[in-house]
This record gives sequence, structure tokens and C-alpha cells, in this order.
Amino acid sequence: MTAVIEVNNLTKRFGKLTAVDDVSFTVEENTIHGLLGRNGAGKTTLMQLLTGQDFATSGSIRVFGESPVENARVLGNVCFIKESQKYPEDFTATHVFRSAPWFFPDWDADYARRLIADFRLPVGRRIKKLSRGQLSSIGVIVGLASRAPLTFFDEPYLGLDAVARQIFYDRLLEDYSEHPRTVILSTHLIDEVSDLLETELVIDEGRVIIDADAESVRGSATTVAGKRSDVDAFAVGREVLHRDAIGGIATVTVARLSEMERAAAIRNGLELSPVSLQQLIVQKTQAPRQEFEQSA
Amino acid sequence: MNRITAVTKLHFVNLWTIIWVPAIILGAILVLNIAIWWIVLSAIDTAEGRANAQEGFGYSGSTFYIFVHMMVVAVQAFNLTFPFALGYGVTRRDFYLGSSLAFVLLSLGWGGLVTLLAYIEQLTNGWGVGGRMFSAVYFGDGQWWQQFFLFTAAFAFFFFVGAGVATLYVRWKANGLVGFFLLLAVAIVGVIALIVRTDGWGVVGEWFATNGAYGVAAWSLLPAAVAAIAGYFVLQRATPKN
Repeated sequence: MTAVIEVNNLTKRFGKLTAVDDVSFTVEENTIHGLLGRNGAGKTTLMQLLTGQDFATSGSIRVFGESPVENARVLGNVCFIKESQKYPEDFTATHVFRSAPWFFPDWDADYARRLIADFRLPVGRRIKKLSRGQLSSIGVIVGLASRAPLTFFDEPYLGLDAVARQIFYDRLLEDYSEHPRTVILSTHLIDEVSDLLETELVIDEGRVIIDADAESVRGSATTVAGKRSDVDAFAVGREVLHRDAIGGIATVTVARLSEMERAAAIRNGLELSPVSLQQLIVQKTQAPRQEFEQSA
Repeated sequence: MNRITAVTKLHFVNLWTIIWVPAIILGAILVLNIAIWWIVLSAIDTAEGRANAQEGFGYSGSTFYIFVHMMVVAVQAFNLTFPFALGYGVTRRDFYLGSSLAFVLLSLGWGGLVTLLAYIEQLTNGWGVGGRMFSAVYFGDGQWWQQFFLFTAAFAFFFFVGAGVATLYVRWKANGLVGFFLLLAVAIVGVIALIVRTDGWGVVGEWFATNGAYGVAAWSLLPAAVAAIAGYFVLQRATPKN
């Protein structure tokens, strides 16, 4: 495996605000990589830095082995679809799809036409007059049909209905398996995309709190439920991500359990259930900072 | 394909904002002007009075709209097309060079069209009513290539000054514009003060008289070039933000 993106000790400050705080990670070639986190966590800033649209305060970024800033060799392989993408004055979707092939050598016009039909996009209408969902579908179509070796989708489906989002997930998976490439998808609809993602990078307040493949993230926490006294006894000495109690019943979310620990818990009459990625992220990003610093 | 020319093509993908809309508005201004000239002439009884009025028609500022429109085109290119193109993986350098090429092509095209209209205006004796819009007195009365140069240079001036100012906005937002216009105001007041203190209005008038319309057009390429070069460097560190 080769790394398409290598980030080391990357920091970006806007005045007093540290939007990206000493972040390091790598992205392997031909993976679908999730960039997850709350609003304002630093996801968009991070993608702007990776695509050379913004400038790092310190640290290093390597994309295809080189700095992306003003680097046509790197950026020629990159497509960046933003949630708040601006379009030129009075453009229609037709103008967008006519010009896209000039910038993406692997652009597939037939595929773009099929996607336009799938999303029922009115291509002749001025973009200003489109609904939020239709606007998003333009970006999604460009991102898919461009077949850029490195594609960034930043919250690509704002305003898209459930059907359109499902079409996006299905098309992305299909096309990705036929034309492998590296996709970075930022979203807060975490559970919807969790099946799609191979690796996950969760950031909060500009710092990486999870960077792992999806399988190990899913197994990394378990919810334990039962009588309050039993649950509390079980939780002693463990890293507790989250705790809830109603009357005599309590649930705790704890970090990874071994097979023996699981068996012991079940013997003690406790119920175990997996934690969805979304719950895990909610709990990790709500927890006071010291708790997840211990886990790091 | 070359990414610089791809950016140039991107500016031409929608011809409405750069050709058809300004052409329609310019045509409407011309028709309205012809109507007004005709009304004025038909209200005057004497041939001498009509000749007087027609001389006054020569001081028309009706073409000003088209130049301002092209300045707005340049501003929108940086405000909207720039962040759009960056999403396509275009570098700032390639965007600026490709856009500049588009502005030069548009200046030549519009310069040619306005020159042609100036000739038609003269051949038809001012659209039949002695009106002058494209051959107004300050556009001079030289050879066709001098006229073509004047109009092309004027378009280039408005495109590149618009581009330069727009890059200030893209880089520093409202602060950049406020700072720039404050400095510009200070500079203008300073120049006026200098002229007044040295009793120099005569010298200024003389400068315009000796240079003539075509000389002034040539000189206007200097601020246009300064704006174009400054815009390039300002854009190098600009970040598209929402």
C-alpha cells in the first residue's frame, strides 16, 4: 500500500483560534476514508489545507508525495466538492458538466448523464434557482464522474433526501469498485456512511481523536447494561466513555473488551451490545478532554 | 489539456454574461438614444439649431455602461469562478493567467465590435439623426486601428483594474477593499492638492491635449498593467472562503 496523503504535525491557526491542532495521519491509496466530527471540528479547514486552498501555519502535508500548494502536478489529480461550493454567475448545471472534462482527464460523460437522470437534476435551470438538494447533487455528480484519483467530498449531500443519499452511496461504492481511487468523505451523517468507510478519522476541536480502520473502530467500544450495582462493579478500573443510569438500571460504554471479559460480563448477568460509530463519536466528542486523552 | 487555456475556456462557457446580456443592453441604450436624438431634432425648427444640437450629441457618455459591465465581469470571475475552479484542482497561478488571457481576448473582441459600431455610426450619418455614441468626441477621429487600439485598451483597463481590486477582496475581504479605497482617496486628494498648490491645471490640460485620445489610451495601459501584476501576487496567497 502506498500513502496518497501524509500529514505530519499539521497546525492551522486563524488568529487565536486553532482550527487544526498538531494533526498527523496518512491516507492509503484506493480507500474510502471518512473524515468525521462535529460542526466546527476542523474538517473543512483540514480539506482546504490538503487541497492547497489554504496555507498551513506549521507542519507538513504531502499529497502524492509532494506539497499540494500551487502544485499543478498534485492538484491535477484532485477534485474537491464543497458543501458550500460557489458557481460562476448565471451558470446552469449544463455549463458545469460541459467545462468539467477540461479539468478532469478521466471524466466520464456517459456516466455523468446517467447520474443526472438518477438525481433528476434540471440541468438547464440557473444554479441560483435550484433547491439545496439539487445544488448538492451537482457536486456529487462532478465528484463521481470526474474519477479524479483523489476526490474530496465535504458534506456533499446537504439537502439531499434519503433516496438521493442512498443513490449517492450506491453509485459511489459501485464506481469505486470498478475504478478504484481514493475518496475522502466528510460528514456528520455518520451511521449512514459507516458501511461505506474503510478507515475513519475523527477530529474534534482540531485534534485527531480516532484514526483507525472501520473494523477496529466498531469493536473498540461496547455498551454494558444491567443492574446498577453490577454495572458499577464491572466498570471499576475501566475506561468509561459514557454512563447512563435510570433508577436501578445503568449502562456504561467501555473501551474494547477481550473475549474473557465479555464472557465474565455475561456470567454476571450483564447485557453487552455493540456501539454504533455514531454513538461512539457522540460519546467521545462529548467527554471531557482528559478522558479521551487517557485513552489516546 | 493545458490548464491555463482550460481556465480561459471556462470563462467562455456561458456567453450570456460576457456577450449577449451586455450586447442587448448596449443595443437598448443605442435605440433609446436614437429615439431621444430624433425627438430633440424634431422639436427644433431651424437648420442652425439642429446643427447645434448635433454638435452637442458628440458629448455622449452612453458607452460607459459597457466598460463598467466588463469590470463587473472581472470582479465576478474572482469572487465566484475562482473558488469554483480551485475545486477543479486549478492552481492560483493557472487561474490568474487563464483569466488574464480571457480578459485580453474579450478586450480585443469588444474593442473590435465597438470600433465597427463607430464606423457604422459614421457611415449612416449618426444612425440617420446625426447622433454620436461610439464616435463621441473624446474617442478621437483617427484611423480605424487607432480607434480599435483605444477601445481595446479601455476594455483592458476596466478588466484588469476590476481584477486587481477583486483580488484584494478575495484575499482580505472587506478590510482589503476599505484599505484600498482609503489609500486611493488619499492619493487622489494628494494629487489634486499638488495640482492646486502648483497652479498646475493648465499643465494637466496640456498633457491631455498633447497626448490626445490615443495617447491617453496608451497611458491607461500602465495602471492596467500595474493592476494586473499586483493582482497576480495578491491572489497567490488568497484563500476561497465563504
